[in-house]
Amino acid sequence: MSEIWSGKIEKIDDYRWRIPKSHKPGMRVPGIIYADEKLLKDIYQDKAMEQVANVAFLPGIVNASLAMPDIHWGYGFCIGGVAATDPENEGVISPGGVGFDINCGVRLLKTNLQFEDVKDHIKDLVYALFSDVPAGVGSKGDIKVGAKEEKEILLKGARWAVEQGFGTEEDLECTEEYGAIQGADPQTVSDRAYERGKAQSGTLGSGNHFLEIQVIDQLYERDACDTLGLDLGQIMVMIHSGSRGLGYQVCEDYTRSMVRCLDKYHINVPDRQLACAPVNSSEGKAYLAAMKCAANYAWSNRQCLMYLTRRVFERIFASSWQKLGMQLIYDVAHNIAKMEKYTVAGKEKVLCVHRKGATRAFGPGHPALPDRYKKMGQPVIIPGDMGRNSYLLLGTKKAEEETFGSTCHGAGRLKSRTAATRSIDINVLLKDLEVKGIIVKASGGATILEEAPQAYKDVNDVVNVVHNAGISKRVCRMKPLGVIKG
Amino acid sequence: MKNYEFIEHTADIGIKVKGTTLKALFHNSASAMFNIIAKKRRAAKTFEKPIEIKQEADNLDELFINWLNELLSLSATKELIFSDFKIQSLTEKKLQAVAIGSPVNEFELNTEIKAATYHALKINKGKFGWQAEVIFDV
Repeated sequence: MSEIWSGKIEKIDDYRWRIPKSHKPGMRVPGIIYADEKLLKDIYQDKAMEQVANVAFLPGIVNASLAMPDIHWGYGFCIGGVAATDPENEGVISPGGVGFDINCGVRLLKTNLQFEDVKDHIKDLVYALFSDVPAGVGSKGDIKVGAKEEKEILLKGARWAVEQGFGTEEDLECTEEYGAIQGADPQTVSDRAYERGKAQSGTLGSGNHFLEIQVIDQLYERDACDTLGLDLGQIMVMIHSGSRGLGYQVCEDYTRSMVRCLDKYHINVPDRQLACAPVNSSEGKAYLAAMKCAANYAWSNRQCLMYLTRRVFERIFASSWQKLGMQLIYDVAHNIAKMEKYTVAGKEKVLCVHRKGATRAFGPGHPALPDRYKKMGQPVIIPGDMGRNSYLLLGTKKAEEETFGSTCHGAGRLKSRTAATRSIDINVLLKDLEVKGIIVKASGGATILEEAPQAYKDVNDVVNVVHNAGISKRVCRMKPLGVIKG
Repeated sequence: MKNYEFIEHTADIGIKVKGTTLKALFHNSASAMFNIIAKKRRAAKTFEKPIEIKQEADNLDELFINWLNELLSLSATKELIFSDFKIQSLTEKKLQAVAIGSPVNEFELNTEIKAATYHALKINKGKFGWQAEVIFDV
């Protein structure tokens, strides 16, 4: 099914490439892909480029259909896609531009432990985390809630978890949208979605979701590291999860209704997974309010997951998480649609920014940032694969000017799950990881194979592009020591 | 023997399914989907629960996607893995069926399928019956 893309592409500079509007009739704006020549070769291998062109069909799309260097073939939008639409100019919102795992995202917390302190405890930590943090297909947790409480989660997001004693005010300050996006309306969420969400708070899920113990192996921005209290050899924890079954159900419910909106609002898109409705229509407003509920559920979920993680560290090191310095650096969403202010052709506008596998990357001084990050810019967390690296970056003004304040979200897949499973031997893979000092525990062997490093692009290449293109700035790099997979 | 085959997709899982009739296509597609999700443990006790499903849509593509997504959603809320399907009546716009499920703890779970998508969806009738290609978000 995969075939090499043969469309025309124009070089803008070493890190930007344009698919002209003339690529196919119906494109309202060009496509712009952030990549270097090395990454571009891989990007040609699947249908991601065509998906960038398809997104350019969306009514009201502003400037360009954008793709980050971790771009790969998705469904509807490509993964790594960014599209902003103008509600005052027929702009639409598309559940396919957010995805089924609404507010899938990452959080990074630091510790005051050094590699020397943990090197003999990695296995204990991995096994304890695997036992205490529910992971895997349809995983359910100990945090079960009734309908009334679930409504509170949908409104309050991570604050709900903090009110239960699963964190602090400081955690909320270090979370995108302070852990709860405003405008969520629990009435727009179906009973089925509630049902799917009642037992999944504090669960990791499966697929590419993970919990990792990492060590900082490279510093790039000394001043930012000093401000954040980060140094070489320091132990970090990264958590990657989303809104679980509740989010999938919200996306499914609204894709169903928006497929019908294509006729109703005379919208022409080349792929029904791009089904959408005007942001200001009743369908658009209802989806946005429901999507916000799922986003808040995800922030609460990651807050609960961090609480479980802190408890494990407390047990293993017989100390409180505060004494272990386990403070949250930041939490970012990478599957979401947000109403954000931008200047377009000299005029200030509120746009609907879709980030499908892309991360918000606001620069210094942005009003959405908490005081502690106003001067340096927003921390951006980029997870890599389980065998290579992950990064902490900072957002930039240039991202606000060029990419609607967006950057990449990870390494991006290179190989299909079936190809990875076919071509990789699990015993060789686990041995390779062990030689590198990485312990992996997953609920199924298939997940380890599907998520093998060979199945991903090199995150170092991806980050190189966003750094050199100026849409984010490298702060430090981590490498994994212990990995818990669903 | 498997009545479906995988089609390559970078991030997700795509399958090609066949059926001699439209009813068989709907049956085989649902069966393939749960085959990807889970495998029954040998020692599992058999306890089966039938769930009635009714779906309506504007066209065949929508009905097909709605059928698969309804099964995923019911599987999650009822905590069942479906292993058999009786398609009682089926037109291009309307379906009535019974899905037979067993408790999820009787299975080894392999892959979480979040949803069936419209992307690159193809449903065709050929000389020898029906064929569908569908991509699942995993």
